[in-house]
Amino acid sequence: MNSVNPIIQIRNVYKYFGPLKALDNVSLDVNFREKVVVIGPSGSGKSTLLRTINQLETIDRGQIVVDGQDINSPANDITKIRAEVGMVFQSFNLFRHKTVLQNLTLAPLKIRKISKDEAEETALKLLEKVDIKEKADSYPAQLSGGQQQRVAIARALAMNPKIMLFDEPTSALDPEMIGEVLDVMVTLALEGMTMVVVSHEMGFAREVADRIVFMDYGQIIETGTPQHFFENPEHARSQKFLEQIL
Amino acid sequence: MSEKPVTIEISDGAAIPRRKDKGLVSAWRLAFFSALVIFTCLLIFKREPYLRIIKFLPDGILVTFEVTIASISLASIIGLFTGLGRISRNRYINLIASTYVEVVRGIPLLVQLFYLYYALGRFVRIPDIAAAVIAMSVCYGAYMGEVFRAGIESIDRGQTEAALSLGFNRTQTMFYVILPQAWRTILPPVGNEFIALLKDTSLVSILAVSDLLRRGREFASESFFYFETYTMIAIIYLLITLLLSKFVGIMEERLGRYEQR
Ligand SMILES: Nc1ncnc2c1ncn2[C@@H]1O[C@H](COP(=O)(O)OP(=O)(O)OP(=O)(O)O)[C@@H](O)[C@H]1O
Ligand SMILES: [Mg+2]
Repeated sequence: MNSVNPIIQIRNVYKYFGPLKALDNVSLDVNFREKVVVIGPSGSGKSTLLRTINQLETIDRGQIVVDGQDINSPANDITKIRAEVGMVFQSFNLFRHKTVLQNLTLAPLKIRKISKDEAEETALKLLEKVDIKEKADSYPAQLSGGQQQRVAIARALAMNPKIMLFDEPTSALDPEMIGEVLDVMVTLALEGMTMVVVSHEMGFAREVADRIVFMDYGQIIETGTPQHFFENPEHARSQKFLEQIL
Repeated sequence: MSEKPVTIEISDGAAIPRRKDKGLVSAWRLAFFSALVIFTCLLIFKREPYLRIIKFLPDGILVTFEVTIASISLASIIGLFTGLGRISRNRYINLIASTYVEVVRGIPLLVQLFYLYYALGRFVRIPDIAAAVIAMSVCYGAYMGEVFRAGIESIDRGQTEAALSLGFNRTQTMFYVILPQAWRTILPPVGNEFIALLKDTSLVSILAVSDLLRRGREFASESFFYFETYTMIAIIYLLITLLLSKFVGIMEERLGRYEQR
């Protein structure tokens, strides 16, 4: 695969939950190192779209190609593809029976089969990066929400993924903790990570996004640079949404 | 996902003592020490016939232990696979596991014991104790399966999703992430199943297995000391059951320790 191709290609994807059309003919390309922020009202299909990229949600029609591999093709091993795609959840989802350090080393040890020393060394570096090294031996329940989310980001990074997906990573946090998580994400963006972020943090979107994707009713209504989107959105629905949140 | 069971069914096992029961007089202590005192007094002050009875019983106690431990082990293994089968996405595996549970739950244990014991005995010649163990395990495997299933389902979906998103397959997710956490939910009801199983092993005395109760019956019918013998048997079961429940309570605390909040 040459690097000119988009690293994520979403083509005419439909997803139904029973009669509900959660994704309605969605197409989106994300380039290597690009940062895309997905916004839209509640229930518009943002999470569903994000979760189809690593097949936490299967699709009913269409095609998704990640890093040159059609993720729905039986010839491709989805677990291998997932290992290259990190995901950060709204509710952190740290492994509660493992320490912070073990949360970071579990997947590299069992999936990448690297040595314990190497896994721990990498893990400690990552914990330093998200500024929480001193909690390496704590259990998730002993951490604040902001700390847990930073650990969750580090855990995903420990697999050295090519792409990072974030589903409202700051929505479950107390306001005073949002900043520390966004800081980590900004750093990651500056380092050139390919990121798809569902977020209501408009400041972050403005600062980091190469492109804003606005969704409503399971469709992508409008995409554009932050400047275009925030200053003169074309669609009435985008305008209405912006009026409501700004 | 909304019909997730919130609570886990508690069987008819003896109450497992909690750390909360700190006071000097807990139900467990009262029961245990009364039983112990009565037991000792009978042996000291009414040696005849109690000493004779007690000398007759150790073989039976041993058999009861053997049947219990073997059945618990086998039933736990069957239970784990049944629980996994019940949540399997494979329709056939799921159907087989669910049917097994439905059938076993719909037939009284005593009837199952008779049935399996004589059915097994008809096709293969295996020792009586082995037949009893298999019968107990098949029955309790189904109950334990439900406990395992409820325990696994009590773990938040987010844990599975996080594991999958890192690249674990479903089996790895189950063994590295879900089961180690489900243990804490599973342990109290499993402990109760163990205790219930221990008591239910008395049913095998109806078959040709010389467990505690059967030894007692043999003694009583020869000596005609019915009241005395069954008093002794009851006290012994009570003491063993209470000790087991204490043990389960301690295990539970040990395993529950990793997440301080
Ligand atoms: N597992 C599911 N089963 C049934 N319906 C679902 C499921 N997941 C999502 N939906 C529905 O699909 C639609 C899109 O949901 P989605 O979670 O993608 O929205 P969202 O844009 O992320 O919203 P929010 O901002 O509230 O997170 C909603 O109507 C939701 O109720
Ligand atoms: Mg969402």
